[in-house]
Amino acid sequence: MAVAESVDNFEINDYLRLEMMPHFLCPGCGHGIAMRALLWAVHELGIDKNKLAIVSGIGCSGRMGAYVDANTFHVTHGRPLAFATGLALARPDLEVVVITGDGDALAIGGNHLIHACRRNLRMTCLLLNNEVYGMTGGQVSPTTSENRLTTTTPAGNLEPVFDACKLAEAAGAGLVGREVTLQTPTLKDLIKEGLAYPGFAFIEVISDCTEIFGRKNDLGNSPEMILSQKKSMRPDSYGTVVDEPFRPNSLPTGVLARNDRPEYGETYRNFAKSKQGRAK
Amino acid sequence: MAAKTRKAATKPRSVLIVGVGGQGVIMMSKVLALVCQRQGLQVKQSEVHGMAKRGGGVFSHIRYGETVWSPTIPKGEADVLLAMEWAEGLRWLDFLRRDGGAFIADTKRIVPPFAFRSRKYGSQPIYSPEAPREVMEMVGSGFALDATKIATELGESRAANTVLLGVLSTALEFPVEDWQEVIAQNVPAKALEANKLAFEAGRDWADANRSAPMEERLKDLPGRDDRRAAEIAPKTVQFDITGEWCKGCDICVKMCPERCLRLNDEMIVELSDPEACTGCRICEWLCPDFAIRVRRVPALEPVA
Ligand SMILES: Cc1ncc(C[n+]2csc(CCOP(=O)(O)OP(=O)(O)O)c2C)c(N)n1
Ligand code: SF4
Ligand code: SF4
Ligand code: SF4
Ligand SMILES: [Mg+2]
Repeated sequence: MAVAESVDNFEINDYLRLEMMPHFLCPGCGHGIAMRALLWAVHELGIDKNKLAIVSGIGCSGRMGAYVDANTFHVTHGRPLAFATGLALARPDLEVVVITGDGDALAIGGNHLIHACRRNLRMTCLLLNNEVYGMTGGQVSPTTSENRLTTTTPAGNLEPVFDACKLAEAAGAGLVGREVTLQTPTLKDLIKEGLAYPGFAFIEVISDCTEIFGRKNDLGNSPEMILSQKKSMRPDSYGTVVDEPFRPNSLPTGVLARNDRPEYGETYRNFAKSKQGRAK
Repeated sequence: MAAKTRKAATKPRSVLIVGVGGQGVIMMSKVLALVCQRQGLQVKQSEVHGMAKRGGGVFSHIRYGETVWSPTIPKGEADVLLAMEWAEGLRWLDFLRRDGGAFIADTKRIVPPFAFRSRKYGSQPIYSPEAPREVMEMVGSGFALDATKIATELGESRAANTVLLGVLSTALEFPVEDWQEVIAQNVPAKALEANKLAFEAGRDWADANRSAPMEERLKDLPGRDDRRAAEIAPKTVQFDITGEWCKGCDICVKMCPERCLRLNDEMIVELSDPEACTGCRICEWLCPDFAIRVRRVPALEPVA
């Protein structure tokens, strides 16, 4: 079997606002790896930068949109999905991508998330989950694991954790998936699937807040944190890795749910067309 | 008295089938054993497939005759050695009878990852250097064929083992109908047609080759030198670091499988061992700051 070298001519600099680099993330922050995967996926699908619209909320995650050389909208905390809904309805020709964080999408913006899933409007939502409000200094978030220390849970978090993917699935998202940053090419492929999906695609990226959450909880430095994605979480994407076959913790990864149903934009435009001329 | 009832002991015939996990060695030996049983012969079969699931070697001894005592074939006594993978065939070659044992081998090479002692791009694996052409010249009765290619051309690459059964059937003395019926009973219904064709293709190939002169038979077999040259063109690694973007997070340093990166005094990454870098790009993918770019570029011709 000849090993075909895949055509790989992705140059990330072609997709960055170079004058703004280096970006502002702390050393080793997982959000940067997620960004590469997104831009790589955009490149491999041949999406024109002028047709790419990135809408992001507030947070270290949301801030990443500002470094992309495309149409970017950095909007209010928790509302990127609401803005993106308007944009996708008005400009169905655009490839709309939402970048949001666990605080942005699940706490203040939880309401918008469930309704975006419910509508199934064509767009891709990337939730960069680092279990914490990174930007504001490390407060507890809806995905902070139990017992973890944060500035607002100094003795450990008691609240149960939200499973963002289950939430999105239950709310009706067309495609739901999850991946860790350590598996960058796999994450890229999953994002590609999301971008190509003709409906609402929700992708949770397991990311790391190294400087604040990692330090507070003694999770080691950046390499150790990223490696723990393999060690302590054991995502399904490592199903073929045989280093420790009996590790108990399992984190479902890959495409977790599909709910193919009418895309809202299409439904809306057809409806509008059928009414044209009648209303006067 | 005993001599009266005991038949003149005829030596059992021995067929050794070898390959690697997943190729169907066990299925093939089952077919052969069933064909033998149909002739009213005693059959003993013994197999080892320890690491089969991980691409390791699998072998199966089949011995048949009026009476068979030992289930294993002594060295140098196999009448037929059927190899589904080239190096496995060579590994077992000394089990083949020197005086006219038949060597039937697929030229398919399944190179295990650990055969690569160096992970550098384009490095040559530790894999038997003997080319099919050389080995065919050594054995008395040899058939080396690209069974996978023949099967693929018939539309079912997985029927390669049935192509080899076709070749095997021409080396043994059993009626062709028995082979056909046993195969039909042992392959999945939806693959039946492909396997019928594959069996015939194997027989046709063997008939055409048996009568052909040696030169003709060696014609399409690769020689020692042209085995891999075309497969992998040498590449060199081009490694660029944007020092101003590096934040010294250490991810690339710790995640590099070859340990060839380090942080300098200013906590900026540098390639400390360019010779060891394989160009795998893991450091590039995992750098959150896009500070590393790795490309494999065609190697320059050495300047004379
Ligand atoms: C309306 C409003 N409330 C609160 C804030 C303060 N704030 C900024 S970012 C943030 C949380 C961000 O957390 P997350 O979405 O997880 O992003 P991360 O920084 O972890 O990537 C908060 C509460 C704000 N900017 N606006
Ligand atoms: S605070 Fe945390 S999430 Fe924000 S840039 Fe730093 S490491 Fe990343
Ligand atoms: S490409 Fe990077 S990770 Fe791979 S061997 Fe070279 S330095 Fe190490
Ligand atoms: S991963 Fe990137 S930022 Fe971190 S040390 Fe390596 S080059 Fe520097
Ligand atoms: Mg967060």
